[in-house]
Amino acid sequence: MKLLFQKLRLPLIAVALVTLAALVAQAQDPRIQTASLDHLAAKASQTVDVNIDERLIRLAAKLLSDKDSDEKEVKEIITGLKGIYVRSFEFEADGQYTAADVDSIRTQLRAPSWTRMVNVASKKEGGLEVYILMNGEQIGGLAVIATDDRELTVVNLVGLVNLDKLAKLEGQFGVPELGIEKAKPKNDQ
Amino acid sequence: MNDDYLWDKSGEPDPEIQELEQILAPLRYQPTPLELPNELPTRRRNYFPLLAIAATVLIALLAAGVWLKLRTEESIPPQEAKSVPAVPSVPPVNEAVVNNTKPSITSVRRRHKPVFTKDDREEALVAKEQVMLALRVASEKLKLAQRRTQGASPNQIKNQHKVG
Repeated sequence: MKLLFQKLRLPLIAVALVTLAALVAQAQDPRIQTASLDHLAAKASQTVDVNIDERLIRLAAKLLSDKDSDEKEVKEIITGLKGIYVRSFEFEADGQYTAADVDSIRTQLRAPSWTRMVNVASKKEGGLEVYILMNGEQIGGLAVIATDDRELTVVNLVGLVNLDKLAKLEGQFGVPELGIEKAKPKNDQ
Repeated sequence: MNDDYLWDKSGEPDPEIQELEQILAPLRYQPTPLELPNELPTRRRNYFPLLAIAATVLIALLAAGVWLKLRTEESIPPQEAKSVPAVPSVPPVNEAVVNNTKPSITSVRRRHKPVFTKDDREEALVAKEQVMLALRVASEKLKLAQRRTQGASPNQIKNQHKVG
C-alpha cells in the first residue's frame, strides 16, 4: 500500500493541482451559470432568456451602423464584450421563487474575483445587487441580480464593460418596453 | 674542393655524390604526358538555396494573400443593415431586397462574395435584437441602481464592499 502510494504520489499531486487550477479558474469565470433557474420558466408569466456568445456579438456588431449614433454607441459597448446573458422571470403572484434560487446565483459571485458594488434592498422596490469582476484596472465582468415580489432578473455581461455608457442606453433603440421594471411609488422608506 | 660537379656536373665528380645519385636515380622526375579522362565526372548542382528562396517567396505571397483577404473582409462596411428594419421577428431577408440598387462594376469586382449568407443574416438579425434587448435590461437595472443608491437612505445600501 505504501509502495503504491509512493508510486502514485506524483500523479496524485498532478491531479490535485489540475483540480485546484480548474476550481480557481471556475471561481474567476465571469460567466454565471443560471441553469438552476430553469424551473422558474414554467411558473413565470413572462420570461426573458438571452444567451449571446462572442461569435454572435461579433455577428450582431456587423449589422450595427457606424452612422447611426445609437447603434454606434451600442457597437462601442459590445466591442469589448465576450458574452451577454440575461434571465428574467416575471410572475403573476408573489413568492414564486425562493431565496435558494437567488442564492444559487449569489454564491457564484464570491470574492476575491467578484466585488459587490451595490446592494440596495427595499420591501416595496425589492432588492438590487450589482457585482463587478475586475480584470486589471478594467471591468472584466458584470452581474446584476434584481429581485422583487414578482420578479427575478439576472444580467451577466462577460468581457470589458463600460458602465457609464451602458447606464446611458436606457430608453434608446426603440426596443419594445418589457415591463420588467415597473414604476412604483417612492414612499417606501 | 671544386663544387662545380655538384652545381652543374662540370667539375671533378665526387664519388659520394655519384653514389647518392645512383641510389636516388629511381626517384628522379620522369616527365609523362597529361592524360585527361574521356568523361569528366559531372558535379551535382546544389539546389537548396534556390528552393529556400522559392519557399520563402511562396510563404510571403500566401501570407500577403491571407492578410489582404482578412483586411478586405474587415473593411467592407455593413451597409446591408440599412435596408433591414430593426424590428423583432423580421421575416427572412431576401438578397435581392437587400441589394435593391444595382451595384457598380467596381463594387462587384471588390466583393467576390456577399458578406452574409441568408442564414448568417437571419442569425445576425436575431443576435442584434437579443443584444439590444439584453443591453436594455442591463441598462435599466444599472440606471435603477444609480437612482436608488443616490436616493436611498444609508440603511438601504447594505454593502458596497467585497463579499464572500
